[in-house]
Amino acid sequence: MLSRVANNLMWMNRYMERGYSILRLLKVNFSANQDSPELFSWTPIIKNYAGVDASFQTENAIECIDFMVFNYDNPNSIINLVTKSRENARSAQEHIPRELWLGINSYFLHLQDTNLPEKLKHQDPVEFLDSLLNYQLLHYGNIEVTQERGSAYYFMNVGKLLERVIQISDFTSMKLMEISKTSDSLERSFHWKYLLLSIGAYQLYLKKYKSSFHEDNVISVIFQEQLFPKSLYYCVNKLSRHINELIQTNELVKNDLEFLLGKLESTIKYTTIENINEQGLENFIASIKQDIKNISMSINNVYFSTKS
Amino acid sequence: MQNSPLFSSYEMLKDTWDEMYASDFKLREQYEIVSSYLQKSSPEDLRKKEDLSKQLFMNQGVTFTVYNDEKGIEKIFPFDILPRIITHNEWEKIDKGIKQRITALNLFLKDIYHDQFILKDKIIPVDLVYSCPYFLREMKGVTPPHDIYVHITGVDLIRNNNGEFYVLEDNLRTPSGVSYMLENREISKRIFPGILPQNNVLTVSNYPNILYEKLKSCSNQPDPNVVLLTPGIYNSAYYEHTTLARLMGIELVEGSDLVVKDHMVFMKTTFGLKRVDVIYRRVDDEYLDPLEFNATSILGVAGIMAAYRKGNVTIVNAPGTGIADDKAVYTYVPDMIRYYLNEEPILKNIETYQLGKPEDLEYVKNNISKMVIKKTDGSGGYGMLMGHEASEKDIEDYFATVDKNPAAFIAQPILKLSTAPCYIDGKLTPRCVDLRPFAIYGPDGIKICPGGLTRVALKKGSLVVNSSQGGGSKDTWVIK
Repeated sequence: MLSRVANNLMWMNRYMERGYSILRLLKVNFSANQDSPELFSWTPIIKNYAGVDASFQTENAIECIDFMVFNYDNPNSIINLVTKSRENARSAQEHIPRELWLGINSYFLHLQDTNLPEKLKHQDPVEFLDSLLNYQLLHYGNIEVTQERGSAYYFMNVGKLLERVIQISDFTSMKLMEISKTSDSLERSFHWKYLLLSIGAYQLYLKKYKSSFHEDNVISVIFQEQLFPKSLYYCVNKLSRHINELIQTNELVKNDLEFLLGKLESTIKYTTIENINEQGLENFIASIKQDIKNISMSINNVYFSTKS
Repeated sequence: MQNSPLFSSYEMLKDTWDEMYASDFKLREQYEIVSSYLQKSSPEDLRKKEDLSKQLFMNQGVTFTVYNDEKGIEKIFPFDILPRIITHNEWEKIDKGIKQRITALNLFLKDIYHDQFILKDKIIPVDLVYSCPYFLREMKGVTPPHDIYVHITGVDLIRNNNGEFYVLEDNLRTPSGVSYMLENREISKRIFPGILPQNNVLTVSNYPNILYEKLKSCSNQPDPNVVLLTPGIYNSAYYEHTTLARLMGIELVEGSDLVVKDHMVFMKTTFGLKRVDVIYRRVDDEYLDPLEFNATSILGVAGIMAAYRKGNVTIVNAPGTGIADDKAVYTYVPDMIRYYLNEEPILKNIETYQLGKPEDLEYVKNNISKMVIKKTDGSGGYGMLMGHEASEKDIEDYFATVDKNPAAFIAQPILKLSTAPCYIDGKLTPRCVDLRPFAIYGPDGIKICPGGLTRVALKKGSLVVNSSQGGGSKDTWVIK
C-alpha cells in the first residue's frame, strides 16, 4: 500500500473517532447542563476543542452545539472533521469497500444540508445528536462488516485507537479541572457520573459498583477495565496488537515503536490505583498522552521521513 | 407529432439535424421504444426520475468541489435523463473513421519526432510544427514501446445539418469524461428499467478492463505495475481519476508518491519502494517533470523524463502528443491520412481557415458573422469569438489581438450542431449536442468503446457544450 494511503486511512478514522467522542460529550453535557447549568458549563468544551484563545463564548446549549457541529472556524467542529475524514477517504477509494465511502459521503452530504441547522434549533437536540451518532456507528459497522483484515484495516484501527486514548484522557482531564473547583462531595460525584456517561462506561459501572460514585472505582473502570472497549487498558492493548500485525507484515518499521508501546502497555497494566493517587491523576494522564504522542510521531516518521 | 403534453412544445431548430425526429416530425426508428416509454410516463414520474439521477450522482460522490471561503461545496455536472441514441450503421462509420484517424495521427507523431518525412515532403509547413508550444524537443528520437503515442483519445464529433459526422477536435492529451460515460449508463439502467435490453444497447461497462489490459500490454515487463497519476484532490476531474483507479484495481498516485532513482520510477509504499512500470498520467506535459518543463511544478516527478527516455517506464499518453491535436495542425489531418495510409478520410474535418495565411484572414474578416475564431492552443471553449453573437466592439477588440500573431488563430464556419431532446422544465426541448467516443490504442490494435459521452448545451440556442460553460451530458446508446 502507498504510504500516503496508509496515512490517509489512519487520519480518516482519527477524525471520525474525534467526531464520535465529541458528539457523545455534547449529548451528555446537554442533559447534565439542563439539570445544573453552573456545574456543567459549556466553556471547558469550547476551550478544549476550539482552542484556549477561541473568541466564541456561550452558555446557551443550542448555540454551543451549533458551534461544535456547524462552525467552520472551529477546527474540531463535526462539519470540519467529517470533511477532512471524507477527503482522506476520497483519496484512498481504491483501498476501502464501496460501502465505506458511500457511508462517509452521505454523512458529509447530510451535514451540508442547509436545513439541518434549523432542525437543531426547532427539534429535540438529543434526537439531532443521535442522528449524527448513527452515521458514526454506521461507519464503524461498515468497517467491521466489509473491510478485509489486511493492512488497510489495521491502519484504520490504529488511527481510531490512538484518537480514542487521547479523547478518554482529555475527557478525564477536563473533568478533573472542574472537580478541583469544588469540595462538595455530591457535586464531585455528579462529575464522576457524567464522565462515565460521556465515555459510555456508566452502565458497566453500575453493574459493578452500583449507584455510588467513588473516584477510585471510576478511575479503575476507565483506565483498567480489561473487557470494556473504551477503557484505556483495552484500547492500548488492541492498539499494540494492531501495530504488531503491521510490524509482522513489515509494513511498519519497529524502530522505537515496539519499545514505546510496551512501555505504555505496562504502565497501564501495572499501575495500581494507589500508584496513580501517589503521582496524582493529572500527572498520570499527562504521561499517557505524552506516550501516545510519541507513538503517533514514530508512525508519522516512517511516512514523512526524507530517507527513502 | 405526438399527443402528449410532454412532446407538445418540441420546436425543431431550422436547418438542423434532430436526433429524434426527421424533418416532418417523423420519429426516427431508434427512438421508438424510448418515446413510447415516455408517452406512458406521467410528468410526475419523469420529475422523480430526474431527482433520482441527481441524488445518485451526489450519493456516489460523482462531484467536483467548488471552494468558497473555507467551505467546499459539492457540485454535480448536469445530466439529462434522456439518452442519445446512435444506430448500428452510424456507429460503424464512426468506429472505422476514428480508427483511421488515430492510426494516422500516431504515425504523424512517430514521424515528427523521428525522420520528419512529412515536413521534408512539404505536406505540413515546418514552422507550423516548430512554433507550436506542444511540440516537445525533449521527445526527439525517443521511441515509446510499440511505437504507440496516443493510447487514449476522446475525439469530439459533431453532426451537421446533413446528418453527417464531422471531427471537431482530436483530444490526444488527457481527454476526460469517460467516467461520466460509465456513470451515466449506470443511472440509465435505473431510470429506464428494462429499456436498455429491449433496445439492444451495447454495453460500455467493460471499458476499465479493456483499458487495464491495454495499459498492461504497453510494458515489456511480464507483470507490470500500472498506476494512475493524478494532480490531486483539487483537480476538477479527481472523481474520474479515483473511479478509473478503483475500477481497474490500480494505485492512484500523486506526484509526491513517486520518486526516481537510478533512472527508474518507484512509488513509496509501506513496504518500501516499489517499481512502477506504466503510468497513466492525468497531469499535463508541462507539469510532468520539473527538471525538464515547468520548474515550479509540484504535480510531477523530478527525473521522470530521463527514466522515460531510458525506456524504464511507459507514460500514457506519451509526452508531446499535443502537437497532433493543435488546432492549426488539425487542418492537415486529412492530408496525413492520405500521406501515411493512402486512404481517403472516412470522417471529414470542418473547413478551417488559418489566419496566418493572409487570404484566409481576409476572407474571415469579411464573413465574420458566419465564423467562429479559436486559439490554436485553446481548449475548454475559452478564448473563442462567435461571430454571429459578438458585438462590433468585441469583434474589433478580438481582431486587434489576432493581428499581433495571426498564426495562433484559426476560424471555422459556425456549424449547425445536431439537436437531441432534453427533459427541461417538464417538457422535451431540443438542445445542441456533440459526441465524444473513447478509443484505446494498444499493441493489438485500437478499440473504441461503443458509446461515449454526449455533451449537451443546456442553454437555449447555445452551441457551447463544455461542462465549464453550462454544458451537461447524456447517456449515449449504440444499438447492436
